[in-house]
Amino acid sequence: MKSYLLSPDKLLGFVKKLSKDGSLFYPTLENGKTHLVRFDENTEFEPNFGKIRTAENIKHFFFPSRDTVAKFPKDKAKPLEKRYLLGVKNCDLRGIDVYDRVFTGWEPVDPLYKERRDKTIVISADCPEPEDSCFCNLLALNPYADGISDLNITEVPNGLLFEVLTKRGEEIINAHKDLFTEAKEEDEKERTKVRDGAVKKLNAINSKPFKKDLAARVGAANRERIRDARDECVECHACLHGCPTCYCFLLGDYKRGKEIERVRLWDACYYAAYARVGGGANPRSRIDERFWNRFQCKFDFFFGYEKIYACSGCGRCLLGCSAKIDIREILWNL
Amino acid sequence: MEPINPYYPIPVKIKKIIPETPNITTFILDGKPIDFEAGQFAELTIPSVGEAPFTPSSSPYDKDLEFTIMKVGRVTDTLFSLKEGEIVGVRGPFGKPYPLQNFKGKEVFIVGGGVGLAPLRSLFLALLHKIKDYKKIYIRYGARTPEDIVYKHLIPEWHKIDGVDMLLTVDVGDDSWQGRVGVVTVILDEIPVDVKTSPTVVCGPPLMMKFTTQKLVESGFKHENIYLSMEKNMSCGLGKCNHCRVGKFYVCKDGPVLTWKDVKDIEEPFL
Repeated sequence: MKSYLLSPDKLLGFVKKLSKDGSLFYPTLENGKTHLVRFDENTEFEPNFGKIRTAENIKHFFFPSRDTVAKFPKDKAKPLEKRYLLGVKNCDLRGIDVYDRVFTGWEPVDPLYKERRDKTIVISADCPEPEDSCFCNLLALNPYADGISDLNITEVPNGLLFEVLTKRGEEIINAHKDLFTEAKEEDEKERTKVRDGAVKKLNAINSKPFKKDLAARVGAANRERIRDARDECVECHACLHGCPTCYCFLLGDYKRGKEIERVRLWDACYYAAYARVGGGANPRSRIDERFWNRFQCKFDFFFGYEKIYACSGCGRCLLGCSAKIDIREILWNL
Repeated sequence: MEPINPYYPIPVKIKKIIPETPNITTFILDGKPIDFEAGQFAELTIPSVGEAPFTPSSSPYDKDLEFTIMKVGRVTDTLFSLKEGEIVGVRGPFGKPYPLQNFKGKEVFIVGGGVGLAPLRSLFLALLHKIKDYKKIYIRYGARTPEDIVYKHLIPEWHKIDGVDMLLTVDVGDDSWQGRVGVVTVILDEIPVDVKTSPTVVCGPPLMMKFTTQKLVESGFKHENIYLSMEKNMSCGLGKCNHCRVGKFYVCKDGPVLTWKDVKDIEEPFL
């Protein structure tokens, strides 16, 4: 795919132009972590593309934690505005990939998700400095994008190297051609250097790969082997709500004046009542069943449906876990 | 064209309410907002309370849509307080229908327990619609007490239909009860069908499903011919929210009827 160079001093101008066309969010550093903030011309623009994924989960942009999906008696939805997401890392792109498959790949298509996705331009960025909690390499993912996003940024000595990944990305470059120059071979070589360095760091962090046939291993696992981790779980659900690939939700109806809103809320399979039916039967009434269900869902069943794991190695689950359970330890031991 | 919002239910009036037992009632809706095939289910919305999944109990060929429902939770508590003429909402149909093409020319052995006869009635009526396509229809039905039997006003008529063989049992009889006494498996000791070729269809509470399936397997029915209603917590009905997954199956999308061959390796599939 074609690449273009943007001089760092032209980034603000580029972002300003994009923001005329829709809201724009970019990562900025605060207390050692990056957070996605909305671009505002009156606030200092201090993007950070070097750190790992943002603390917040970008699934909020496509699948908010509380989302009105229908209204009665008249179903009227507000048209959504165009959005740009800058600096998204490849682990979070895996989340989008999973959602794309569930909400638009599997029939019926979810029109609300599709509209959000269609109206959101994703400009990803390489992840040159993976941290101890990162493990995308164990799941055959790279610390840089090779799809899903429209454009990808790599910071190289001569500036920001934009790689075109979709037709939509190409259109954006073409619309702002005056700001970009065509990338030179040396820039592309620098990108390879950045990427190789990131892969090397990841391999040092996670030197032990998961054993082959992870899906089959999870499917056949003796649940007793995860007993210690399960016993430590305090059911805070941080691993699930923080996960960029978890897509469980429930529907609730709420009266708002004369209208009734049908709201889609994030749910989590660790909740005791998650699978309980009206009559009271509960297929996963015990925590060990629910705990293991998460692994089956992500590494066995989803892999069976789509041949990818519903896990991105972003590490939010292990950083958020109140009991400091490291998902890698469980998977390594299978 | 505006995309169809799969979360929006179609409003429909309750036309008639028929109490079946102290805690089971049939709701006949005014018209048929959705077209369905026997075995598929719908989400029934009680405005401002929420929705729950139910399989219609009426024939797919009827002009009205019926649901026979047991009062068990928040949604059904409110539903039971509604009156004729009030509005509910329907989304669907969801899931796969019974593969009736596989039943053609065969004896169909239906086993129901309690309110589980509701979806089976829809199947039964669909079979009756083309009764010549099937060798014979057998119904075996168990309820807790004579009072708990659903469709009391219809069952005497079903007994009279040529090509239908029906047997009932109750767990606990009373002075008026002349029939069999015992859980539904007591009327499965003798299975008058060719178990090698016949399909059997089961719907009922979890324990009944477990022991009935065990009995049917022991009787020699082929695992792929044992059709089981796996009605789980089907929240969205769209195969997305994940609540109804049992093993690798999304019950709302791959079911709600799965075969014993599908679920036999799943730990406690009926819970």
